[in-house]
Amino acid sequence: MIPKTPAEMVFGFALPHRKMEDWRWTDLRQLIDKPYPPRQKILAAAMDVERLIKSSPFAKIAGQRMVFINGHLSTDHSHLNRESVETRISFDEPVVQMNQSFVTDGAHLKITGNSDTPIELLFISTKADARTIASRNVIEVAQGAAATIIETHMGEGAYLANSVTEIRLGVSARLDRIKVELESEDAIHLSHTHVTLAKNAVLNDFTLTSGAKVNRQNGTIEFQGENIDAKVSGAFMLCGKQHADTRLVIDHQQPHCTSRELFKCVMDDRARGIFQGKVMVRKNAQKTDGKQSSHALLLSETAEFDAKPELEIFADDVVCGHGATAGDLNHDHLFYLMSRGIPEPEAKSLLIAAFVGEAFDVIENEAIKEALVKFSNKWLTRRRSED
Amino acid sequence: MLEIKNLHVKLADEDRVIINGLNLTVNAGEVHAIMGPNGSGKSTLSYVLSGREGYEVTEGSVTYKGEDLLAMTPSQRASKGVFLAFQYPIEIPGVATMQFLKVALNSQRKARGEKEMTTPDFMRYVKERAAKLNIGPDMLKRPVNVGFSGGEKKRAEILQMAVLEPHLCVLDETDSGLDIDALRVVADGVNSLRSVDRAMIVITHYQRLLDYIVPDKVHVLSKGQIVKSGDKSLALELEANGYAEFTGAAA
Repeated sequence: MIPKTPAEMVFGFALPHRKMEDWRWTDLRQLIDKPYPPRQKILAAAMDVERLIKSSPFAKIAGQRMVFINGHLSTDHSHLNRESVETRISFDEPVVQMNQSFVTDGAHLKITGNSDTPIELLFISTKADARTIASRNVIEVAQGAAATIIETHMGEGAYLANSVTEIRLGVSARLDRIKVELESEDAIHLSHTHVTLAKNAVLNDFTLTSGAKVNRQNGTIEFQGENIDAKVSGAFMLCGKQHADTRLVIDHQQPHCTSRELFKCVMDDRARGIFQGKVMVRKNAQKTDGKQSSHALLLSETAEFDAKPELEIFADDVVCGHGATAGDLNHDHLFYLMSRGIPEPEAKSLLIAAFVGEAFDVIENEAIKEALVKFSNKWLTRRRSED
Repeated sequence: MLEIKNLHVKLADEDRVIINGLNLTVNAGEVHAIMGPNGSGKSTLSYVLSGREGYEVTEGSVTYKGEDLLAMTPSQRASKGVFLAFQYPIEIPGVATMQFLKVALNSQRKARGEKEMTTPDFMRYVKERAAKLNIGPDMLKRPVNVGFSGGEKKRAEILQMAVLEPHLCVLDETDSGLDIDALRVVADGVNSLRSVDRAMIVITHYQRLLDYIVPDKVHVLSKGQIVKSGDKSLALELEANGYAEFTGAAA
């Protein structure tokens, strides 16, 4: 019998640990370093809220917004109301289990129209005692409908944010989803996203991971109809001792679908990035075209990247592949830029920005893309000033 | 402008000596051609002048406009007017050519204490120069050298030279991989940059390029030394007789 950790005693259930295959790099028994009691009532200072809302990279872009402060919808700051959409996932997964125990609120949206205006779901945590904040979102995009939804996570101080999102795309529906994790540097971010796609659906999904001291993001995407096209991209921009682990399962269940995964991960200092990507092609999913690649740029000798690509293919007529690379900046590229008068620190920034920028290409909305480029330039400037 | 004295260079992580007591003086307004067989040290000379890592100067000096060139970083050298046109221009995915040119020019201006150029001024400035080299806006939008043909890469190098307006241009085998039409475009570009306050070192294997870019002086490099210098007729002589005389003599 292993003794319970302080966090496990408060939670009332066991946390995943390194002996479990999916959690071998992210031992939550160790990484959840203190109890984070759930369901705490916290009165947020108006000033803190305003500052955080303003600091969202999308403050000027989002047409409509739902703001959740410490796990509760703030109607004062939101344009949209909660709708009634049933939640369907409840399976035996530690992050989902934690969410089911502690959830307080979340965005429930039913998209029926066809709008270019991005909706931002902004989750902010204000400075207070360490606690767990759990939110549950359900997004349904109806048959033929389309939406662009940004999910932004930000905060100050020490907390554990648990976010579970269910996404259902109907026949010929389209969703452009951009998730940006910019939690406080003392925070822990655990998330699980479950997507189901119907026939002819189009999904463009991008996740930026740059906040939190510990980040674990699970994703499952089920291809439940034919002719689905899904692009899933992500970028890590990590420094200090940040730890980010993304586990993504692409589940091809029907024929003639395409999936593209591209992850570009930048790690500096002692940061550690992990990408575990599984592509499953079920027996019925003939003519699947699935590609996965993850690339890491290690900016220091002590940074680390672990990749675990998996292909599980039961159909016999498919095109699937995966690739993973890790390395430092290309010296020839660097010399070429410097030989034109660009000083070394700027030349490095230019190359790093180009490296992560490739993952932004999945985003079709130019304003959102620009906001992300701006964020990455800010990150690079801060990095230069710390060197 | 440039004075190389008794230069000795070896590879940083090997004992192999590549340049072995090279002397060369280049004055403003002059075009010098350096010819020599493969392995004679031509490209190494260009890399040492531009500051590429991997080479170690064991003896001698390189003075550029009265300053110790070897003590400067590659970007400092560039800001002070040294430019290397690469034999094999490097492809840089994700960095648009236009953005690259702008960052390069403004970095140099900043280093020299000049005002940075605004985007509209810069666009005009580049487009004028690009047009002369048959470089359209499409090529300027593409990532640096990515997917460029051999000829496009060389034209892009000359465009960079025209934009950055260096004082000392080192052209490393700019003719390699060019057909005759592309060669003419590139040579015209280079010739239009000839001026009394600009010097050029044209490194080449063949005399062909020198029909278009006519040098003031021609040097033969063999085994890391200049073994013969002359005027442009030396290039014709080499074309007729080959390098055997020099490689044999130095052996």
